[in-house]
Amino acid sequence: MAEYERLDVRGIDLEVLRRGSGAPILALHGLQPIDPAAAFLDRLAGRAEVIAPSHPGFGGSPRPGDFDTVYDLVHLYLDLLEALPYERVTLMGFSFGGWLAAEVAAACCHRIERLILVDAFGIKVGDRETPDILDIFNTHPDEVVRRSWHDPERFKPDFNAWEDDALVRYARGREALSLYGFQPYMYNPQLRRWLARIAVPTLVLWGAADRVVTPEYGQAYADLIPAARFELIADAGHHPEKEQPENFAGRVIGFVGE
Amino acid sequence: MESWWQCEIPYPFVPPEVLAAADSVRGSLPNKWCDPTISADLFEEVLDEFLLCDDEGLNVLAIEHHAGINSLMGSNPMFVGILARQTRKARILSLGTLVSLRTDPVRIAEEYATADVMSRGRLEIGFVKSGGTEMASNQTNPVGNLERYWEAIDLIRKALSSHEGPFSWEGKYYTHRHVNIWPRPWQQPHPRLWSATGDPPTAMEVGRRGMVHVLVLRGPDGTKRAYQAHRRARAEAGLPKVTTDNFAYAAMVYVGETEEEGREVGSKLLWFLNTSLKSAPQYAKFLPGTAPPEFAPQIYRTAPRPAALAPSDMVNAEKGVAPASQNAAKLMSISTEEAMQQGILFCGNPDSVYRQIMEFYDKVGGFGHLAMIGRSGFMTHEESVKGIKLFAREVAPRLRAVKPIVAE
Repeated sequence: MAEYERLDVRGIDLEVLRRGSGAPILALHGLQPIDPAAAFLDRLAGRAEVIAPSHPGFGGSPRPGDFDTVYDLVHLYLDLLEALPYERVTLMGFSFGGWLAAEVAAACCHRIERLILVDAFGIKVGDRETPDILDIFNTHPDEVVRRSWHDPERFKPDFNAWEDDALVRYARGREALSLYGFQPYMYNPQLRRWLARIAVPTLVLWGAADRVVTPEYGQAYADLIPAARFELIADAGHHPEKEQPENFAGRVIGFVGE
Repeated sequence: MESWWQCEIPYPFVPPEVLAAADSVRGSLPNKWCDPTISADLFEEVLDEFLLCDDEGLNVLAIEHHAGINSLMGSNPMFVGILARQTRKARILSLGTLVSLRTDPVRIAEEYATADVMSRGRLEIGFVKSGGTEMASNQTNPVGNLERYWEAIDLIRKALSSHEGPFSWEGKYYTHRHVNIWPRPWQQPHPRLWSATGDPPTAMEVGRRGMVHVLVLRGPDGTKRAYQAHRRARAEAGLPKVTTDNFAYAAMVYVGETEEEGREVGSKLLWFLNTSLKSAPQYAKFLPGTAPPEFAPQIYRTAPRPAALAPSDMVNAEKGVAPASQNAAKLMSISTEEAMQQGILFCGNPDSVYRQIMEFYDKVGGFGHLAMIGRSGFMTHEESVKGIKLFAREVAPRLRAVKPIVAE
């Protein structure tokens, strides 16, 4: 597809969405790749260059047979940070990609100017009988929709109306997500300890109505990162960048420009 | 032809309004609806029926399913152990431990070896790929299930057949640095292995491995196609031809004294299809990993797009990706007549049942094992006992006379 570029990172072929100019932002997507038509991209485009790869197995990025863990993804993005033509970039991760961004930043901040985590997965906060993150695989899809959005009616997917290609990409994404995040479900028990290593200014952004992973979880996440602040976006669920693109982009631009 | 009787021990006694309101009768239905006193009676009745099969000269078969009204047999090796001790003559087929749901295949090998020894060599070991609700209730990643299935089987086979001290296994899905099971199995090198699968790619692997290949409620076309894939894979690999002894078919079977009685009681078996298959979309069509993403347009849409081709189950089945959810949807609304026509249900008087089985045999190119779902739903113990006796005395001897042949 015309809107995507290809990038080769040590033999891993990535589909990459690149938009705008200005401060470089490497964006790691969540449950699905970032939609090229997403309004927040245009809102950011005047002030930032967004570089958004599809993780191997998602969208149009192939997944090598032996590439099947978050460990692989973290090393891929450490490599990608080295390969980008910028000394430092802002690293921004959504949901599942927020987990990846936190892992990358905890491992090495040399190439990271700032970190933005948006409704991020990745750590265990609650007790052993309280799941932090909604099991999107074992929960009825209608309930997943209800818990994902401030305004579920507006964002409920109508698969009957989707193009074939969009459905195939969506199914690829679910398969890849299940592969990477199934067990333990969407977190790394060790990550919590190492978040203290993140040595860059961090913005933890959260949809106030997120019931996939709650704002309380987001606050706990922010409390574990030394230079982090936590901000809520009103009238948004798990995907504030889609429900409140203007507000979302404003926060990002404000933070990157600080 | 050998006959293998089974009852999955369903639990049909949940109020219908509860079943109607539940989005799934497997996986997520609360077990408050499962009364332990009723369960105990069911276990007792069905174990007695298994023992009756032993007395009547039939083999027995025990399955495994989890967390639903369709079956209380969550622990296959435990059940097989009871049968190993309590039967005297019957061969016992485990079909099977849902092997990719268990974290340590070595423990499965140990359990099977124990049952094989207790039964003095009457165990047969079957493997089943498991379904979506079971992935959920056993916390198993549905993605990679098939690869895990084969690796687990490889490890179990090696554990059963290695006798020179500990060996090490560092595979993709399983690691075990010290495999050395006691007791070792009675049968050498290991009990015969079976695999239940309908899709052609897996059927080919079953063929190359020379396992007994079971088709469950697939009807003549799907069954024939799978058997052919099995044979073709062997031919392509330069392996010797197999006889019909390598093929098995699982259907619902009930024999009455009269045609009417056979059909009336036999139709009770359809409860399994009509009532116990109801499964929520997250365990079925939306379960990742069950069909290649390329088939999402057919699977995700509830109505075809105007310009799109109608979904074709035939095409899906040819390519080996007709997901279990599509098969289930077709089976849930089936009538007695349709089920009989499609070779899913064989019922009637002894002559009629024998004829139905042999007609199906001819349609699919022959098979050496009939796996009978003999009791399900609201069929009573008395009805089940009567059906077992009639089948064992009037039908099984005639089937036994059908000897293995090399069929094309």
